[in-house]
Amino acid sequence: MTAFLTLMRRELWEHRSLVWAPLVTALLLVLATFFGSRVGGLDFELGDQEAGFFSDLAATPVAQVQLFAVWMGSLLIPQLIVGLLVVFFYLLDTLYGERRDRSILFWKSLPISDASTVLSKFAVAALLMPVWVWGISLVSGVLIFLIVKFMVAGTALAPLGVWHGSAWLLVQATLLQNLLIAALWYAPIAAWLLVISVFAKRSPFFWAVLPPLLVAILEEVAFGSERILVFIGHRLSGYFQAVQPGLMRSRDDETTLQTVAEAYQALSAAPLLASPSLWLGVLSAALLLALAIRLRRWRDDA
Amino acid sequence: MTEDTTHLPIIEARGLSKRYGRGTLALDDVTFTIGSGRIVGLMGANGAGKTTALKAILGLTPFEGHLQVLGQNPSRERDALMRDVCFIADVAVLPKWMRVSQALDFVSGIHPRFSRTRAEEVLASTDIQLHQRVSQLSKGMITQLHLALIMAIDAKLLVLDEPTLGLDLLYRRGFYERLLNDYFDHQRTILVTTHQVEEVEHLLDHIILLRKGRVVLDCAVSDIEARYVQVLASPERADAARAMQPLHEREVFGRKLFIFETKDAGSYAGLGEVRTPSISDLFVALLGEHS
Repeated sequence: MTAFLTLMRRELWEHRSLVWAPLVTALLLVLATFFGSRVGGLDFELGDQEAGFFSDLAATPVAQVQLFAVWMGSLLIPQLIVGLLVVFFYLLDTLYGERRDRSILFWKSLPISDASTVLSKFAVAALLMPVWVWGISLVSGVLIFLIVKFMVAGTALAPLGVWHGSAWLLVQATLLQNLLIAALWYAPIAAWLLVISVFAKRSPFFWAVLPPLLVAILEEVAFGSERILVFIGHRLSGYFQAVQPGLMRSRDDETTLQTVAEAYQALSAAPLLASPSLWLGVLSAALLLALAIRLRRWRDDA
Repeated sequence: MTEDTTHLPIIEARGLSKRYGRGTLALDDVTFTIGSGRIVGLMGANGAGKTTALKAILGLTPFEGHLQVLGQNPSRERDALMRDVCFIADVAVLPKWMRVSQALDFVSGIHPRFSRTRAEEVLASTDIQLHQRVSQLSKGMITQLHLALIMAIDAKLLVLDEPTLGLDLLYRRGFYERLLNDYFDHQRTILVTTHQVEEVEHLLDHIILLRKGRVVLDCAVSDIEARYVQVLASPERADAARAMQPLHEREVFGRKLFIFETKDAGSYAGLGEVRTPSISDLFVALLGEHS
């Protein structure tokens, strides 16, 4: 166990952007809120419609909670996007780079199995990073709330500055759960990137992206069908398709969202756990990881 | 595996072969045994198969034939084997981004036989600072760092693949001196490959010479005296010497230098000055152009 944690630590030493990129994004978000609200936020000239919206909001606690839940939840999105980008390039580079700089000969001179090496990298991408991104957004969310609360105090926007503790806890728990479900959904893509990383002699990016595209184009040309393209598209966007209906409902049909529990239902990705697609993906990820381990075991070109 | 393994050979290779693709054999039916507590030189020209043999021993490449390292099959039991085996491949394979302190943290986190105190002791005698990154160290210092890590691991077999390639003379000397004085204790076995024979010949107990994937010499250094003889003959004795089938002949200061595989030790005295060849002499004789 110590050995596995040491391996994961090593990944963060080497790929410092995993740690810093989401953190800097969150910091920028906090700073942008601070300066943004100072510049534009002190003089609230609301139109009639907006003024009506906020006075309604002050009168309906449930709507207040919903709005609070949605904007607290959406604060995760920038860090998430940045996190996904750095994880993508991390996975592509990690097993390729060790062969390029020949440090693989050092790693392989130590009693570490190829399985622990590959799995430690996967665990960093699929477990550590979601939790890290979540933790950052949790803290930065509180900071941003405090800034907003201070800025809107005494204005017509004051309902935005009301803290809803139980809703906040629920939102954070739901987001963590969603991130881990997303990690399961995207596990086969992560594992695919690791396979390419261990396999490619050069330009792993092209190896990862071009062959699937090429096969899809060939299918289109040869059979006029788009099954492969649909398959890839489903894997890339399926998670959001699954989460979206709940969010759409929360926007379109306000009457259905009366309670905090319903707000959770609207945000939660848990229904995806019942989808065979998700578990087939997890199985493919396991097979791809086994392949990456085997390839690394016998790769002999450093 | 309950039997006592202390008297078993450290490495045992029988009929070891390795072919890359459909090309030539990198190792061609190689057989040798390496006993415990030895310093063994695996030598040969570039491309003779040294590195391939090491890769097979370290379980880094598949092979044909029988190979046991510390009683284990390096192909199947690599993970367990590497607890007792250390190796330095070439120079400068330590990752550039790593700090010296991280290297210590890392190895102590994953190696059950690593003593951090010992590594720090060794490092204290160098100019290396704990906060430095590998990228800030010279090639010689990187090798010192690697050696410090290795010396702090209680391993049974140390494998060195051209460990001093590209280093300047002071570091090369220092490397082997340190290894010999502060590490080697006759409980361990060291296997070193190199094509720079002069550098290691004074410290070896045993040599294995490879030529085009085949073993051309497998001999304890103490047996060289009994097995080989070198004769410095005057030119007029050259023909007589040639008649005795020398392994090698070259010219030194107008006289001829012959190396023979000894058949009858007394019979060479008549040809000229008789000596025991050095490892370098044998290296040249057995691997040189004319053999």
